Amino acid sequence: MEFRDFSLLIRDTKVHGFVDGLERGELLASKCSSCGAIQYPPRSDCSHCFGTEFEWVAVRGVGTLVSFTSVFVTPEHFTPDFSGSAPFSTYGYQPAPVGIVEMEGGLRVMGWIPGVKAESLRVGMRLAPRPEVLPDGRVTVVLAKAEG
Amino acid sequence: MGHVAVVGIGQSRFGIRSDASLRELAFEAVKACLEDVGVQLAEVESMVVSVASDELSFALQPSAQVTDYIGFHPKPSFRVEAACASGSMAVRAGWMNVASGLADLVLVVGAEKMTEVPTPIATEVLGRAGDSLWEYPFGMTFPGYYALIAQAHMAKYGTTEAQLAAVAVKNHYYGALNPYAHMRKEITLEKALSSFVVASPLKLYDCCLISDGAAAILLASEKVAKRLRKNPIWLRGLGLGTGSLSLAHREDLTTLGASVEAARQAYDMAGVGPKEIDVAVVHDCFTIAEIVAYEDLGFCPKGEGGPLVEDRQTYIGGRIPVNVDGGLKSKGHPIGTTGVSMAVEITKQLRGEAETGRQVPNAEIGLSHNVGGNGQHAAVHVFGRDKE
Ligand SMILES: [Zn+2]
Repeated sequence: MEFRDFSLLIRDTKVHGFVDGLERGELLASKCSSCGAIQYPPRSDCSHCFGTEFEWVAVRGVGTLVSFTSVFVTPEHFTPDFSGSAPFSTYGYQPAPVGIVEMEGGLRVMGWIPGVKAESLRVGMRLAPRPEVLPDGRVTVVLAKAEG
Repeated sequence: MGHVAVVGIGQSRFGIRSDASLRELAFEAVKACLEDVGVQLAEVESMVVSVASDELSFALQPSAQVTDYIGFHPKPSFRVEAACASGSMAVRAGWMNVASGLADLVLVVGAEKMTEVPTPIATEVLGRAGDSLWEYPFGMTFPGYYALIAQAHMAKYGTTEAQLAAVAVKNHYYGALNPYAHMRKEITLEKALSSFVVASPLKLYDCCLISDGAAAILLASEKVAKRLRKNPIWLRGLGLGTGSLSLAHREDLTTLGASVEAARQAYDMAGVGPKEIDVAVVHDCFTIAEIVAYEDLGFCPKGEGGPLVEDRQTYIGGRIPVNVDGGLKSKGHPIGTTGVSMAVEITKQLRGEAETGRQVPNAEIGLSHNVGGNGQHAAVHVFGRDKE
């Protein structure tokens, strides 16, 4: 079975601006123009008030690690020898841990935590979510050690 | 609404069933179910089929393979789907069929053939049951999602890897006594703890098996049930809850809101509480899921699921025997089949017909708990027998 044609593509959604944001170096959430609800992952349609207008707001700052894992038994697209196209780059990040950080205000962001082993991570650590351009030119979200 | 009873049960042996197709597995379960109660297929008025995955069966409407092969047409049959909770949705739809008065005798079948695709593809199909757009792209898998739940539970409550492994040891102990189980083999705590890491902190023995298998139950209205059986088992409470697609959308990773909601509904409807449950089957797709289920179902206070299993309180003789059929962990988890197989097991327990060594003595009220995905759906059903 072939999955590369399944729609994983954020570019083909109403929130395609999210990918442009990552390329500019900004991690974006959506803010509902009607009720003001801020949501991540971003959505064009508000689940609080059913509004369909939104604006972009940047997710900035440092968050707290809520949980993490390192996946060793990987799905087909993430196996080291996979040669097809995947919408999010997986380059170089196998088997990097993945985590969820909670930002001030309660937004939670999932991202890769490259360059470390899961054993060195602790729930409660401070990590900053940020976009990253990978060596193959594609973008993703990483959780980076907070500076200072 | 009328009362609904389980009057017949049957299931195939679970395992890597390269000897049988999806439809043949379903046939094994249906034949056993009808023979259990002595009903001819011609008497069955309607049917509900659960096959969870088009991707694993390489076909749309795989349920048609089942209805055709058992020779059911042209009578009504339809399929339901909620990933790993599909089977409980079929039980629920069957109950609705009977309770509404639409039919007096309804066959509920769950069937799944998972081992025809390579593991990386099955891993991908299952992983995409989570948020396929926003979380799967981080290489998330089913074990990965539950690993995030496990890590959060360990951090918040001090749950240990040994407590997780204790779930596996218990379920393999009982699975070894179940002739229908996929892996009939006891394991030691040391073996579980030293197995390779699938998604940290979950190791091989924290994960359920990828299995083939089928199960069937026959549901009847009160009038028909009393004609067919002296002591039918009644489906007394049904609960169904839903939860967020993304794990990142949950305020607390250590509980499944869908399970809490489903349990509340089912207990209310049945008029019982967790203390009155004599035997339970819960959704142990991963060891951490069983621990979280103890807490979400009210078998112990929040955070005490780890100590509960470590103190052997979920063995027979303990406070609440759980998964004494081996659970998904050892019996196996053909995803669309599991919910129906859970109904088979609880009925068997309440009839007093479970195999030697794994029968809960004098069980009167039983509960099944079945989760779809990583908590997008959860169903809780309460079963009871007439008091003697
Ligand atoms: Zn709104």
